[in-house]
Amino acid sequence: METIKEEKGRFDEWKLSARVFFANRTAVAGLVIFLLFVGDAIIVEVAPGLVGVQYPESVVPPLFSLTHPECVNQAPEPPSLAHPFGTTQYGVPGEGCLDVLQLVMKAIRIDLAISLFIVLVGAAIGTVIGVVSAYIGGLLDEGMMRVTDVFFSVPFLILALALGFVLGRTVLNMAYALIIIWWPLYARYGRSLTLSTKEATYVEAAKAAGSGRLKIMFKHIFPNVVPPVLVQISLDVGTVVGIFATLAFIGFLPSNALVPELGALANIGLNLAPLGYWWTVIVPGGAITMFSLAVNLMGDGLRDVIDPRRRS
Amino acid sequence: MADALVIRDLHVQFHTRRGVYKALNGVNLRLRRGEVLGIAGESGCGKTTMGLAVMALLPRNASFPQGQIIFDNKDLMNLPREYWERVGGRFNPKQNERILRRVSKAMGRIRGVRISMVFQEPMTSLNPVLSVGFQIAEAIYVHDPALLARRVLARTRATPSQMPELLAILGATRDDEAAVKEFAAKHDLLGIEDQVLSIWRRDDVHISRKEKAIRSLAGQQIRSLERNIIETVTRTGSIPPKFSRVPVLSRVVRRVFLKEGYRKARELLTSLGIPHAERVLKMYPHELSGGMRQRVVIAIALVNNPEVIIMDEPTSAVDVTVQAQILELVKRIRTSVSAAFIVISHDLAVLAEVSDRIAIMYAGRIVEVAPTDKILRNPLHPYTQLLISAIPTLEGKPVEGIKGEVPDMRALPAGCAFHPRCPFAFEKCHEIIPIDLTHDRDQLVACWLYEAK
Amino acid sequence: MKLWVYVLRRLILLVPTLIGLTLLVFALEHAGGPSVFLALYINPHLTGSARQQLVDRLTARFHLNDPIYVQYFYWLGAILQGDWGTSAQNGQAVTTNFVWFMPNTIMLTVVASLLTWVISIPIGVYSATRRDSVLDQGVRVATFTLYSMPIFLIGFALFLTFGTSWHLLPAQGNIDDNLLPTLSSKSWFDSNAVSYPTHIYLIDALLHGDVPIAWNAFLHVILPAVSLTLALLAGIIRILRVSMLEVLDQDYIRLARAKGVPERTVNNFHAKKNALLPTVTTFGYLVSGLFGGAVVIEEIFGFKGIGWWTTEAFLNSDIAVVMGSTLVFGIVLVLTTLVLDILYGFLDPRIRYE
Repeated sequence: METIKEEKGRFDEWKLSARVFFANRTAVAGLVIFLLFVGDAIIVEVAPGLVGVQYPESVVPPLFSLTHPECVNQAPEPPSLAHPFGTTQYGVPGEGCLDVLQLVMKAIRIDLAISLFIVLVGAAIGTVIGVVSAYIGGLLDEGMMRVTDVFFSVPFLILALALGFVLGRTVLNMAYALIIIWWPLYARYGRSLTLSTKEATYVEAAKAAGSGRLKIMFKHIFPNVVPPVLVQISLDVGTVVGIFATLAFIGFLPSNALVPELGALANIGLNLAPLGYWWTVIVPGGAITMFSLAVNLMGDGLRDVIDPRRRS
Repeated sequence: MADALVIRDLHVQFHTRRGVYKALNGVNLRLRRGEVLGIAGESGCGKTTMGLAVMALLPRNASFPQGQIIFDNKDLMNLPREYWERVGGRFNPKQNERILRRVSKAMGRIRGVRISMVFQEPMTSLNPVLSVGFQIAEAIYVHDPALLARRVLARTRATPSQMPELLAILGATRDDEAAVKEFAAKHDLLGIEDQVLSIWRRDDVHISRKEKAIRSLAGQQIRSLERNIIETVTRTGSIPPKFSRVPVLSRVVRRVFLKEGYRKARELLTSLGIPHAERVLKMYPHELSGGMRQRVVIAIALVNNPEVIIMDEPTSAVDVTVQAQILELVKRIRTSVSAAFIVISHDLAVLAEVSDRIAIMYAGRIVEVAPTDKILRNPLHPYTQLLISAIPTLEGKPVEGIKGEVPDMRALPAGCAFHPRCPFAFEKCHEIIPIDLTHDRDQLVACWLYEAK
Repeated sequence: MKLWVYVLRRLILLVPTLIGLTLLVFALEHAGGPSVFLALYINPHLTGSARQQLVDRLTARFHLNDPIYVQYFYWLGAILQGDWGTSAQNGQAVTTNFVWFMPNTIMLTVVASLLTWVISIPIGVYSATRRDSVLDQGVRVATFTLYSMPIFLIGFALFLTFGTSWHLLPAQGNIDDNLLPTLSSKSWFDSNAVSYPTHIYLIDALLHGDVPIAWNAFLHVILPAVSLTLALLAGIIRILRVSMLEVLDQDYIRLARAKGVPERTVNNFHAKKNALLPTVTTFGYLVSGLFGGAVVIEEIFGFKGIGWWTTEAFLNSDIAVVMGSTLVFGIVLVLTTLVLDILYGFLDPRIRYE
């Protein structure tokens, strides 16, 4: 039961935090870009026609070569007023006049959704495992450490390839593969947070007062673990988009999968760009970079807020 | 001048996101040669800031709108003050940083050799990745490599036959320092004095061992390259660029001098009461206890025989037993060293033990200065009186705290900064800042109560 | 003294990790059932009775009808004997393929790492000591951008600008294609386009005194190496700068200044030595990404290292190579991390002495 004064004090803390965050111009820029991406994802999901996107699920609309015969084998066009990011050509025989801007808009939705899925599920599984393992301690904890060690022992891209091979090359499986790769990170992170909280005196005090073990865990440890983990999640979304796209770029998805995904789009351009059609790869890559940039800028801004040393 | 250091009307401000903190607001202080001046006050009153200001070690958000720090007839605050006047009081972090860097450079010949400082936290004052011996040796190497060179040279020149004569002189004389100096001058062995005296003055070994050690000083062999280096440096007084720039040669040079620096460090540590100094030198800071670390830091401050030594809370970060040791050490040092000391502490009891005079600071100003026994017996300023009555004593007198809080340094009260908490405040105190008034010849107090009517 | 204990502990911890790694690969190989596992050892062109005979032999050898834990030991035995399966792409043993391609990747990653350290240290230190200067801000922007770019974009951008548009540097393969005929006539070159003794064109050419070939090979290394370096740089400079800033705030730096040590020495010696420690740790975390990056870069530039080979295997469903890659990269990464940990223990006196 907080007194009115305490509650107001907390509100002032938020106001101060907000002020510090918004004083950082680059962090605000990052936030704006991030919101643009999120906005795009939402609009394409809900009302794609609003931005002129048709067939959001596929790179090439169905029966495209029949409905647009003039586009068959049409070479990609450079950026222009009609196509701000140019056009690209898909497959053999090539189906051209695919507006890159539209493709990117479609792809952002997929990328964001999947990355969020990966990070949230991976973080949830990992954090719970890490916290429980650290709290119980002993052999279980040591065993869990070894397990995470094993997952860390293989470079993540290679492990993703191996997992993809075993699971099958679909978008969803790519997500599952990355979840498997991602949870050990959060297990370690949650574990270290739990260990440092465990040492804290008030847990001792609660134990002395006789609270049940489960109760201690939820009341005292989780509130200390959840906020930093949330911050880490928000930072990781940017990283995962990059990794996810890189996997797709290598060719994780089979060449006939028409999934609009930023990495897959870059992969499409892989053979076109050396011929001079640079935008087919650079634009999707740039979109990933912008998103990562935005998330990282926001993350830096958040760190400024959390770090108590906010001097001149 | 009879004064080692004079601070006049010093103002220092810190510019932060939360406002401008006026840390020092017109500090006036005179440090006499050879004296121990204690600075007392609550935390936040600016004592540490003052010490750092003298050393020009303030962070980049500090500005110096007014005041002088006069050392050796020169104002150390020249550059920043001029800059502040030019800029007209507007704070620019980058320019300020540049000015501070220039001041730092100018202070390079003063810091560590003429004025040195011992910081508050011995646990974090030493570089964790460098050995303790290196950190002491470096202090000499950076300032006076010629001293090290002379020492080596003297040892190579001294012949075993000269040593018994020296020992005989030492045994017979009362003033060992003068005797050794005379001996060294006579036999062209300048550089041997320190080494001989540091052995001779040890009180933890038997005289036979001392004689043996002194005898072994003579007749050291060195390789011709090293001899070359040493002689050049002795002649020119410092390390010539041709040695320090050439890659491989500079390493050899460094090694030679650091080795000798380690030797001197060993002598110094031993004289500070650290047993097995050779072993300690090779250790890293984390291997030493807090008390040992504090001694090392003190050794670093002493090694170049500075004229002024500033000690910031030397006893606050250590436990009570070590506190006593450190105080003993300070008292011992001051008899053997000719420097003036400034000892900063919030603990009046500590200052009472070591200081000749004590100055009381409040809200960035000195409010009272007087010889120790006078200020303890007859404190004039109301703040001093309250401070003294707040010291717990063995008699079990009830301890009274001081009402109120330290003022917000961003917005100081008008007039005397203490007036909101002062039981004797009257109208003048609210309006005009008190000036330093002399009372009873050597007691200075900044309080309107003592204005001669 | 404590350093030996530290090294020993790390070595002991190595064992369960390696065992776990083999378990992981074993699980992956058997995840699709025995028929998928068999594909590791059977040439897909083999059909009919010869194939059936091979299947029977393999079933017996790996005890595929026995419980899974028994299978593991026989599988492990085969692994330790060097029999990791046969590549479906060129019919060679997986281990042979790795021996051919691994040196190139090692050269690439080592060169990139060295370049990264040589460049990052001066820049990181200077950026921190001249905080908020023009150079510092430039460095921050550049590293931030590089850090946000996916590795393939960095590689591809270099590929396009220097390789295709400006034709300044070769951007495909390890050697110019038109040189291959001359190479096959050399004594140190065999029919599989593999050079001897180190399997790295650049080094072997130098060893045999063939400077023009060596130069050409060298040119082909530049773009991939620079791409990897740029990606690594971003992470290392960032952490070095941050840790320098933290170090510069410390008491012992203030003491060094109070001693009268010149500013340049304070920054480049006292501060840098401390700031490098967390940087080495961070580099350890980045090595996993480095290997992954090598895979992508090799694929983009057609640089025939083990990363390129693995990608090709993945795209061509060559299970033996993919699984073998997982195992070999795992071993290499574990060993690299061990070496880095030992190095760190050596550098930090708090670990080295008590």
